[in-house]
Amino acid sequence: MMKKNGTGWLFASPYLLYGIIFFAVPLIWSLYLSMTDWNLISPVYNFKGIDNFIEAVKHPGVQAAFFVTFKFMAAFVPMVIVSSTLVALVIHGLPKFKGLFLIGFFLPYLASGVVSSLIVKGLLSQNSALNVFLRGIGIDIDWLSTPLSALLVVAAIIAWKFTGYYALILTAGFESISKDVYEAAAIDGVSSSQRFWKITLPLLYPALFTVLILSIGVSFGIFTEVYQLTGGGPNYATNTWQMEIFKQAFTNLSAGYASAVAIIASIVTFAAILIIRKLLEIWGKRNGWV
Amino acid sequence: MVGSKKNLTFRYIIAFALLIVMVFPYLYMVLNSFADWTQVDKKIVPANFTLRSYEWLFSGGEAGIARPWLHAFFNSVIVSTLSTALMMATGAMVAFALAKMEFKGRNFINNAVLFQMFFPAIILLIPTFLIVQNAGLYDTYMAMILPKALSLWAVFMYTNFFRAIPDTFIEAAKLDGASNFQILYKIVLPMSKSITTVVFLFLFMERWTELLWDMIVVRSDSMLTLNVLLSQMFGPYGGYPGPMYAASVLLTVPIIILFLCFSKQFKEGMQFTLK
Repeated sequence: MMKKNGTGWLFASPYLLYGIIFFAVPLIWSLYLSMTDWNLISPVYNFKGIDNFIEAVKHPGVQAAFFVTFKFMAAFVPMVIVSSTLVALVIHGLPKFKGLFLIGFFLPYLASGVVSSLIVKGLLSQNSALNVFLRGIGIDIDWLSTPLSALLVVAAIIAWKFTGYYALILTAGFESISKDVYEAAAIDGVSSSQRFWKITLPLLYPALFTVLILSIGVSFGIFTEVYQLTGGGPNYATNTWQMEIFKQAFTNLSAGYASAVAIIASIVTFAAILIIRKLLEIWGKRNGWV
Repeated sequence: MVGSKKNLTFRYIIAFALLIVMVFPYLYMVLNSFADWTQVDKKIVPANFTLRSYEWLFSGGEAGIARPWLHAFFNSVIVSTLSTALMMATGAMVAFALAKMEFKGRNFINNAVLFQMFFPAIILLIPTFLIVQNAGLYDTYMAMILPKALSLWAVFMYTNFFRAIPDTFIEAAKLDGASNFQILYKIVLPMSKSITTVVFLFLFMERWTELLWDMIVVRSDSMLTLNVLLSQMFGPYGGYPGPMYAASVLLTVPIIILFLCFSKQFKEGMQFTLK
């Protein structure tokens, strides 16, 4: 029995090492750092208690990160739900070209965020075909320097990235709905709107719920596209948590302060996802979808 | 819903239209990488083509070291390959313990993996950087590999898959005197090809396109990965958009080739993933 326990722990040992070095230690270190004014370089630093946290919640960059995350969510989640549902609705059950569709719709998910950002920057550059056309009909937008359009452009890039992946989840949902159910409904004379609300949506809800939770999670972790295209601007309009933490820790070298911001970000993320998840469950139950 | 032929044709038309919209930006990227430098980002389809962007990319570039782009490409290959190999090996090992071995503390480890998986990782960024720095690994390959030597997601996926493998196979092998390592590598893993493909492709893709971590633990020009080099050259070389598109192609093509090579197993594996 002893020996058996031994091999079990031996096989699990990579996780134990990893969990200690890259989870437990950093976690405790982070809590400690957040109460100091360390600047990543200086050998001496002072203990500040909860001053960093007070400073952080008053800081415009942190306040922006809090609201920008929800703005991204409000733009990105509906975009990606509509686009992935549309793709799934069209391709589910198609007998041919499955491989082509899989790779094609997955491509934006596979490509680097740096590449996607670079292409979008090119497509939206001053003299691009799109902007020349828009100016021709009297619309002149500096896409990435206008707060609202910058936010929407980044949200659209991320929606574009995840559409294929989520469509795949939804396709599995659509394909799990048996044709018999629709046939039985057709015989009973169910109208098409009733069919959608009473049959398709409840049966699709588990897949839709997964996609909603995943996409809400994504909203809290936006970095690459913002770093590449706007740097969090203009005037904090696209300043996400990761962007703010990166700037404070590795540009301003305020490691202590940035750790406090990271803790606040984690608490907000954790709480928000938990609350939204609960609300979705209640909403699903009330409608009888779960 | 039930497809008549006309209905099906209509859906194919819409499907291809959607597909073109989704991949159009990448076609634009490829076209612009071959475009004459005066025409980059001016038209949807450039009129004149040249290989100048690729010549620029593979010869000089204009950074501190010789052939920086090729160098960065090889850095990416080294880091992504080693990191992915480690993540797969550790993932399968830990998952085998969690799914198929009985030992004291198994539940604890299982719960710890799940807890850590859903923990907001951003809180760990700064201290993990400090650990790497204090270990003397700043600006080395190891700084990019070791903190990404285990993937909780890989452990999770493998654990779920291994649980579905009937115990009788393992019992039989044990009676034949096979060790746990032999059982894992000779019986369990060969039965898990489709999930291994999915785990490999996703881990490699994620590692290949990592930006934040690879950017903060490395400083010298000779250590940058291709993704980080492209990210850094993005702004300053705004005047050279052609080569930036060529570099984007260089960064995207390997991933596409990998997915095409494994597309059959990938399709099978995704079926399991989505259940």
